[in-house]
Amino acid sequence: MSEYVTLTINGAKVRAPRGTSVLDAALDYGICIPHLCHMQGVIPTGVCRLCIVEVIEKGRSKVTTSCTLEAEEGMVILAHTDKILKARKNIAEMLVAEAPNSRAIQDIALKCGVKDVRYPFRNKDCVLCGRCVRACTEIWRSRSLGFVGRGEQRHVALPFDERPEFCKRCNACIDLCPMTITPCDGPMKKGEEYFCGKCESQLSMSEDFVDSCVWCRLGEGFDVTGRHAGRKQEDKR
Amino acid sequence: MTTADAKRVDTILKGREGASGELIEALQDIQDAFKYLPEEALRSVSEKMAVPLIEVFRVANYYKAFTLQPRGRHLLTVCMGTACHVRGAPRFLDEVLGQLDIKPGETTEDGDFTVETVNCLGACALGPVVVLDGKYHDHMTAGKLRALIQGTLSKKAKKTGDR
Ligand code: SF4
Ligand code: SF4
Ligand code: FES
Ligand code: FES
Repeated sequence: MSEYVTLTINGAKVRAPRGTSVLDAALDYGICIPHLCHMQGVIPTGVCRLCIVEVIEKGRSKVTTSCTLEAEEGMVILAHTDKILKARKNIAEMLVAEAPNSRAIQDIALKCGVKDVRYPFRNKDCVLCGRCVRACTEIWRSRSLGFVGRGEQRHVALPFDERPEFCKRCNACIDLCPMTITPCDGPMKKGEEYFCGKCESQLSMSEDFVDSCVWCRLGEGFDVTGRHAGRKQEDKR
Repeated sequence: MTTADAKRVDTILKGREGASGELIEALQDIQDAFKYLPEEALRSVSEKMAVPLIEVFRVANYYKAFTLQPRGRHLLTVCMGTACHVRGAPRFLDEVLGQLDIKPGETTEDGDFTVETVNCLGACALGPVVVLDGKYHDHMTAGKLRALIQGTLSKKAKKTGDR
């Protein structure tokens, strides 16, 4: 069996080692699919839903998250169809409503074409993306924090709410959290939230953390106006 | 935790060294022995059973059967299920809580009562239902409940008086 698989993403032939996720394969080829919870090399959980794509199978299309989808030989993926861009924009809009104080999320939403937020702002301090928990568990093998409680009460916590002595103080949990950088004008108070959407130059964490894909030159997947060439090509087909 | 308590935990964990699959059973035994899960006991569980502390903490927080706070001598469970709700459970719950000066899930300062709520006990025809120390009391009213609590407290007063 071949070590590599070849699939098409937005019409482009992409080769990836067997076992790679569709999202990672796309990113390696510079095809940008917006994502938030995914981190390269860490087990994907598919919780933010931003990375949705269409998989075409026997003429039927299925929408699923590309971070949890393993690339297979001959797979056909459309990452930026109208349907996907619309759904993704809506997901981004809900994320801003949930956590307007995250610059990363405001950025992603802007790039996904959000113009205003129709959902009530909830202004949470955490979007439960699980990046901190997975980084602590899988990268640092420290298991200092985890999800505690269920349903509405589910939240990230340390055991007995104090930092255990085996915490490695690597700070990964904070560095990788989309909530640690607030929008340029500072944190918004409850009742005063708004969709920022002011600046396009929102680099956020992406310079330091390759994975966080907040500002992306390739940007295609973020664009709902269809200005980009790649998208036009796809429409013509 | 006293040394005696620590010994009790050790006995519970005996034979379970490294048996991470028995986590819930061990926690149940500790809950039975102490009526709650003391922090130090959970730390020993983590160490002896080779389960990361955060996992022990997560499981302890996940199930309603476990509590991390000591419970009162008497446990009062008030049903807030739909049937009991429409028959006025919230009203008398408020009253009891006011009387005892606590919130649901809390324990009175003197350690006499813990009040918890539950969503349906499966005895809707008897509603509103409350359970005091495992005994079901049906068709509750604020008055009946007050009498029940007073009765429990005076029984205790009598016992201490006898001594
Ligand atoms: S700083 Fe501590 S809690 Fe945070 S990721 Fe590192 S080891 Fe885990
Ligand atoms: S604390 Fe931050 S990284 Fe962790 S789950 Fe919440 S938003 Fe994600
Ligand atoms: S990146 Fe795939 S669901 Fe979040
Ligand atoms: S609603 Fe109270 S017993 Fe069912």
